[in-house]
Amino acid sequence: MKLELRNIDKSFGEKKVLKNVTLSAEGGKAFGLLGRNGAGKTTTIRILMNVFPADKGEVLLDEKPINYDKVLFGYLPEERGLYPKKKIIDQLVYFAELKGMSHSKAVSAVDYWLDRLGMTEYRNKRLDTLSKGNQQKIQLITAVAHDPQIVILDEPFSGLDPVNAMLLKDVVKEIISKGKIVFFSSHQMNYIEEFCDSIAIINGGQVVLSGDLREIKRNYPRNRLVVRSLQNEKIASEYEGSVERGENGDIIIVLNTPEEKKSVMSKLTETYDIDEIKVYEPSLNDIFVEYAGDQI
Amino acid sequence: MSPRSTIFSLSMQGIKYKGVRMVKQFGKILKFEFKNYITNKVFIGVTLFFVAVIAGVMFFPSIKDIFKKEDSNNIPDVSGDLPVMLVISDTKENSEAVREAFAATFTNYEVKVADTDIEGVKAQIASGEAECAFVLDSLTSYTYYVNNLSMYDNNTAIADEVLRSIYRVNALVQGGFTPEEASAILTAPIEGRIENLGIDQMQNFFYTYIMIFALYMVILLYGQMVATNVATEKSSRAMELLITSAKPTAMMFGKVIATCLAGLIQIVAIFGSALLFFNLNGDYWGGNAIVSSIFGMPAGLFVYMLIFFILGYFIYSFMFGAIGSTASKLEDINTSVMPITMIFVAGFMVVVFSMSSGNVDTVLMKVCSYIPFTSPMAMFTRIAMSTVSIYEIGASIAILVVSVIGVGILSAKIYRVGVLLYGNKPKIGSVIKAVLKA
Repeated sequence: MKLELRNIDKSFGEKKVLKNVTLSAEGGKAFGLLGRNGAGKTTTIRILMNVFPADKGEVLLDEKPINYDKVLFGYLPEERGLYPKKKIIDQLVYFAELKGMSHSKAVSAVDYWLDRLGMTEYRNKRLDTLSKGNQQKIQLITAVAHDPQIVILDEPFSGLDPVNAMLLKDVVKEIISKGKIVFFSSHQMNYIEEFCDSIAIINGGQVVLSGDLREIKRNYPRNRLVVRSLQNEKIASEYEGSVERGENGDIIIVLNTPEEKKSVMSKLTETYDIDEIKVYEPSLNDIFVEYAGDQI
Repeated sequence: MSPRSTIFSLSMQGIKYKGVRMVKQFGKILKFEFKNYITNKVFIGVTLFFVAVIAGVMFFPSIKDIFKKEDSNNIPDVSGDLPVMLVISDTKENSEAVREAFAATFTNYEVKVADTDIEGVKAQIASGEAECAFVLDSLTSYTYYVNNLSMYDNNTAIADEVLRSIYRVNALVQGGFTPEEASAILTAPIEGRIENLGIDQMQNFFYTYIMIFALYMVILLYGQMVATNVATEKSSRAMELLITSAKPTAMMFGKVIATCLAGLIQIVAIFGSALLFFNLNGDYWGGNAIVSSIFGMPAGLFVYMLIFFILGYFIYSFMFGAIGSTASKLEDINTSVMPITMIFVAGFMVVVFSMSSGNVDTVLMKVCSYIPFTSPMAMFTRIAMSTVSIYEIGASIAILVVSVIGVGILSAKIYRVGVLLYGNKPKIGSVIKAVLKA
């Protein structure tokens, strides 16, 4: 199963919100959609889910235009909200039924998920009697109970305590292992890094970077060396002008070209007492700041 | 099969599939929203309150009667307490004749011939012994003495009539007629009959008025409910999920029809209990022309009322729903629905004024009875209070039905665009643009 957006354009009035957006996500893998606030993430998701049509471009599933009447989506919106005054079981069953489930199937699916997320005791309570984190777990059930092929999670981890975050991680991993397409949107890079095989960074309505995360990292210029040594200060003074401070007192030497790597490495190990030396692997955070930091 | 027909059958299948899913969603939404209403404590409370008020009004005469029966044992005959009216004329015979004539006419007075002069009469009135007095100089001239001249005192008008008739009888008797002949001449009866070939406006006025007023209340009340319902979902952000779960058309029609069903149940409960109470108290209300005209409404008219009620409700509720979807805060609704309310109130005014003027077939009313936003009230009023041909009624209903469907689809489109607009109140222009694009 492969979901693709091709050359999507979208304007609201005079404002161009998406410009020629192209991305693709595969079943059994998680896809991370990154971007700063207002970059066009939610608009992309809404076009993907056919809330409104694109001005130009197409949404494809396995190379064919997607049939929204047959494909089921699960959606956890960034703006959380259900019916605060209604019983939890009633509204969860209602949403599952709207997605096409029969009443009895909806009830058993909802009960399964309530149990899975440890929420069974709240089954017959009103939603507004729950804490924010627990409301979020209820909201997650609306995204998964009807067994959708494509699950879209917008900032799924915001507001969860570490225990609930672990629980959600397990759920997400389970969904991915079932071969479904999981579409992540988040600002929390560590979660994206943990789950997503491929990403797209969207900035100012344009995709500025997309592809396999490991490849992106590999293709990142390999011209930095991370050095850990007790003689950090000496090394820093020798390479003054091309040294950055890393984490934990490490220093990062920026080389003029990646080819210098070998000579600099051997020179350093010969001259100084080096504990560790390695090529710097950028974090997703670095990549994000580099691609999305400048403009909106 | 030719390629073209394959494509055709495929697309037909697509439409059928879409249709089935939408109808299913519509059913679920209808059920969910309807259940919300009938389990709502306020909804139940309001319904019971109205039923209780109607019960109170309808049973009032019987309850009053029970108390009256108890009271009547304590209070003796009241006829002895009638106020005193004094009469005095130029001669004793005239005084006695006038007293007799007045006593026959003023049954709520004890009429006495005064046994004193004018000053004595004045003194008796001032002391309260007598309430009023007629002092006659002749049979055609008098002075009326009264302590406080009440606004509704028409004693002089009655006295004029009595004296005039005495004068005429006397004149005829002097001309050679016997008193019997004279009074026969003066009271010769005129036989008149009314044959109404159309509609009795007087009789229909009250129930038409009540129905128009009920329509007015129901549309504003339930229309607001739809608007609030949509805006609540939007402000609680449940909309984010709903809009990706169900088709806007299914949402809109589901909500509006659920509200309509809840409204019908409420109306049936209120009017049904009114009818029941009326029948239970038939003895007391049967003689009341207004009340029995309301419950004696012809069945045909009732059917028309139902049709216009439902269609009128739909067209306004769709608009209210669309407006509700563009409001980002619950508080904004009242100002947002103002234009619709204005149209509606204007239509209501036109109808009520033409009703009270007695002519419901003015050009304005005729025009209003074809405009879908005013026709539920205007056409119903004309059917009830005038004679309208079946073709005119048919045309009005047809226009209304088509408009309801059109407004329904349009409102679903506005809804689809409106629910995702947050922040500032959207300009009408930008909403229209977005709707045209959608």
